[in-house]
Amino acid sequence: MRHFILVISGLLLGLVGFAQNDYHNASQLEQELNKIANSNRSIFSLKTLATTVGGKKILVLEAGIGDRDNKPAIALVGGVEGAHLLSQELALGFAKGLQAGMGMDSIKSILNKVTFYFLPQMSPDAATQYHARLRYERSGNANPSDLDRDGRVGEDPFEDLNKDGLITQLRIESPSGKWRVHPDDSRLMVLADASKGERGTHHVYSEGYDNDRDGQYNEDGEEGVILNKNFTFQYPAFTPGAGEHSVSEVETRAIADYLFDRWNVHTVVIFGPSDNLVNPWSYNSQKAGKRIIESVMEADEKDQSFVASQYKKIIDPQGAGKGHFQAGGFAEWAYFHYTRYSLSTPGWWIPPVPEEGADEPGKKKKHENETMAFVQWAEHAGLEDYFVPWTPVDHPEFKDQKAEVGGIKPFLTTNPPYILVEEIVNKHNAFLISLAEMMPALEWVNIKTEKAGKLTRVTAELVNHGQVPTNSELGERSKWLKKIKVSIKTEKGQELVSGRTVELVDRIGAGGSVTHSWLVNGKGKVTLEGGAPHTGIATTVIELK
Amino acid sequence: MNNPKLIIIIFLVLGSAMALAQTKDQIFQAIGTPAHPRVEVIWNRYYTYDGVTEICKKLAAAHPNLIKLESIGKSYLGKEIWLLTVTNHRNKNHKEKPGFYIDGNIHANELQGTEFSLYTAWYLAESYGSNDFISELMDDKVFYIAPTINPDGRDSYIKNPHTAHSPRSGLVPFDDDRDGLVDEDQFDDLDGNGHITMMRRKTPTGRYKLDPDDPRRLIPAKAHEEGSYELLGWEGIDRDGDGMVNEDREGYYDPNRDWGWNWQPGHVQGGAYKYPFSLSENRAVRDFVMAHPNIAGAQSYHNVGGMLLRGPGAEEDRETYDRNDILVYDAIGKKGEDIIPGYRYLVVYKDLYSVFGGELDWFYGGRGIYTFTNELFASYMYFNDKNATQADAYRFDKDLLFEDAFVPWKEFEHPQFGLIEIGGFKKNFTRNNPGFLLESDAHRNMAFTIFHAYHMPKIEVQSVQERKLDGGLREITATIVNRRMIPTHASHDLKNKIERPDYVILEGAEVQAGLVVENRDMNIVKEQLFEPHKIEVANIPGMGKVVVRWIVSGSKNYSIKVDSAKGGTVTWSSK
Repeated sequence: MRHFILVISGLLLGLVGFAQNDYHNASQLEQELNKIANSNRSIFSLKTLATTVGGKKILVLEAGIGDRDNKPAIALVGGVEGAHLLSQELALGFAKGLQAGMGMDSIKSILNKVTFYFLPQMSPDAATQYHARLRYERSGNANPSDLDRDGRVGEDPFEDLNKDGLITQLRIESPSGKWRVHPDDSRLMVLADASKGERGTHHVYSEGYDNDRDGQYNEDGEEGVILNKNFTFQYPAFTPGAGEHSVSEVETRAIADYLFDRWNVHTVVIFGPSDNLVNPWSYNSQKAGKRIIESVMEADEKDQSFVASQYKKIIDPQGAGKGHFQAGGFAEWAYFHYTRYSLSTPGWWIPPVPEEGADEPGKKKKHENETMAFVQWAEHAGLEDYFVPWTPVDHPEFKDQKAEVGGIKPFLTTNPPYILVEEIVNKHNAFLISLAEMMPALEWVNIKTEKAGKLTRVTAELVNHGQVPTNSELGERSKWLKKIKVSIKTEKGQELVSGRTVELVDRIGAGGSVTHSWLVNGKGKVTLEGGAPHTGIATTVIELK
Repeated sequence: MNNPKLIIIIFLVLGSAMALAQTKDQIFQAIGTPAHPRVEVIWNRYYTYDGVTEICKKLAAAHPNLIKLESIGKSYLGKEIWLLTVTNHRNKNHKEKPGFYIDGNIHANELQGTEFSLYTAWYLAESYGSNDFISELMDDKVFYIAPTINPDGRDSYIKNPHTAHSPRSGLVPFDDDRDGLVDEDQFDDLDGNGHITMMRRKTPTGRYKLDPDDPRRLIPAKAHEEGSYELLGWEGIDRDGDGMVNEDREGYYDPNRDWGWNWQPGHVQGGAYKYPFSLSENRAVRDFVMAHPNIAGAQSYHNVGGMLLRGPGAEEDRETYDRNDILVYDAIGKKGEDIIPGYRYLVVYKDLYSVFGGELDWFYGGRGIYTFTNELFASYMYFNDKNATQADAYRFDKDLLFEDAFVPWKEFEHPQFGLIEIGGFKKNFTRNNPGFLLESDAHRNMAFTIFHAYHMPKIEVQSVQERKLDGGLREITATIVNRRMIPTHASHDLKNKIERPDYVILEGAEVQAGLVVENRDMNIVKEQLFEPHKIEVANIPGMGKVVVRWIVSGSKNYSIKVDSAKGGTVTWSSK
């Protein structure tokens, strides 16, 4: 394996040291979270939200100083896709970064301002397959499900035909096959294009039997519901793995309930397949104007693009594709239904490789076929042992045909070799610190008191010093976000002649402000308050003369 | 009679006899109603949650072979969600019969669905054995009846000051105005009569005037005319100083926007809570329905307006309802219009308003169950006139209720509005049936559900034919029929494979091959490779048949079992 150089050093955050040499399993992850929680119990606390059907815990680590519930919060969620192990490392990595940086003033000041909720693993049932005796890329939880809706539950699982502990592919030599050997790499199979005169030579299936003889291979195994298809936005009803209805699962319910109870959540950061940090969602006035809103709002698009530009600057996301949008996905729910800012990234992409015979030296290119791109990168990066060579197996359904098992090993195309994780985590930590610094911060400014006869006119501006608005434009419509409450408290003997005691404001933009004015009869002190749980609350006391 | 002691004794004897109701020989049956029920229930009044509980328990105790009572879950405040399983429990396990689900009162203020549901359970049980049609229905089918699926809201509506329209909600506290305070500005029963009525104020700039035909009523002044009153809304005061009155009430969300089909959040449609089944009461119903795949028809009771509603709830969901299913809905809906005068068969999104994530949408869209929502009581019933107006409600109150429904206007010194008047219709008028119209509406709506339930599948093995083949093999061909209108799978169900296929299982002989006969005349068959003894058929259509075939060897004695989730089970034996 080649050496990768750290591009971004931990300028803002202590670098996270890595003792680990593989992705954490459930108990290691819990141990790590426990270690952080135990390091400083006034700042960190670890809770169990639920236990899955597979007996695994859904854990949340909370971090913050003082009145956590009334400070803007960033929720960081990993494991929305169970086979994407990197995601939990990214969430955990930032928690470790904060803990390691506790001694630094910059980190203390962030924790004074912002609360963090870490939910590193939403799909522990699925993620456990990475460490299982039989390894395959699993998305579904352990809730028994009839994925092909044929009335039988789990009747057609994978079978490890070559007994290597991995589920790869099965190819059958057949003149009626639709696949052929890739001309550039004889290990890979590619669909034959009849219009180019190409002829198929193989059938390609996943590794296993067709136990229920329905013509499909391994379409209904032990996997249950895929949590990243189980949320309410564009819920793909009755598609495999979506569950019987949205938010039907222990995990999805626990996480939704937890977040609905946290009024202070301002932004949700998701490590998962969906991407709007490299490819921000684009505004479409028609889709945004329909009653079922299916486009990001205009103002939210701008804010998202701004944050995405910061992300790209720090991360340099080489090899990133066009982005992914998941029907029933968590990141999509976090914006469209939970109405918070939702920022999602896979965190790593198969990198491009230097182009052979390129005009400019150092020019890199990524093959448009992901499998080819992976193989090219794997060769270039010197990855070892990433491919299971095709080996003949006895397959009872193909007694007179040549049946072989082989292919790229599971998990490798979406999860980088663990040695790269440290660098990826440190870059993301730098981005997350800059994101935390963008959070809204309210302050009363330009406070004026003027005499109007015997009355005092109090005028003040409530300004948002953050680099992002107090809340999304979509959030203005949601009852799951509080409004920004501006109130004046008078003392005994004072009378409010003009101005409301309580007024509610929908949103204050980045650097924006709202002006309020009251006429008070009487002397003493008045107290102004402005804010909401997701913005923090600014208070000022004014002396009336 | 001049002996005061005797008078007291006679009074006591009569009084206690009356408490026990009449003796059998004092009663002559009014046709169509059980004259000697085991459980006496008065059907011209409403019952609190405790009252409902009591009736459920009495029914189950009096009819142990016909009614089983269970709790399917708890409400937010810990009340039981009662469910009655009504069938002949002796001939067959109820889960092997097509099931008809009924609930009422999902909206707290919509009471009468509860009494209609209870009436149905009562009527079925009390008629079993004396009415042949009902007896056969109870032998074939099962009714699952949940009289109230919002017991918290029900009791709040009955016991606390409310309008006719509040609360629809259950009682999970909710910050309606998003100011960080929860339920802080509810109604105020300023006149202390248990009803939230209207506030009005005399003013020459008001745009209302008194109705010359009934001065209790306000009508809009004409554009050129001076008015005399302004309306100030429902009884209440601004409790939190935000300049608004009654803006953060008990609740508030709509339990009928909380179901798992085409669900949308609160900013798309007001009323949705967190996500489908985020309310414990609805979750209890979901769990029950998921555990009872034999439910093939369903009814939910609401008020008001005399409507027999089917989905879709929203135009975006139009595609879900295809022709075959609409035929079934139409046949039931039109029968309803016929047997409940004043009720109209309508489609929610077209004729009412849009509903995303409504209960009937989930029952049909999510589970493939033909479902109606009836909006009970209609202004039609005031004078059997479908063009009834608000003025008719006043007239009905005056001439038939003798002004029992109205709180006369009375002056009140309001802390924010000054001198006002409070008055108007009581909470139990306009939506819930007046007493004397309750039982007949209950009966007609029950008859509608019985028609629907009757037409759930009735599966029979119509014929079994055998033919000898060479080599000691035999060909067995079985014809399975459904003698009712509703198929075992709605076409929406077939499209999405919601419910498992129906199984036709041959036991006792050795099966060499299993076939679904698609066209018997032309001998078009389709072989089933996996488990050929257990033939899977996608559907047994309404008033239709399926034909299956096996090639067998071995024993001459065998049996055929039809096992359909929604159609029940039937066994045929060659012996």
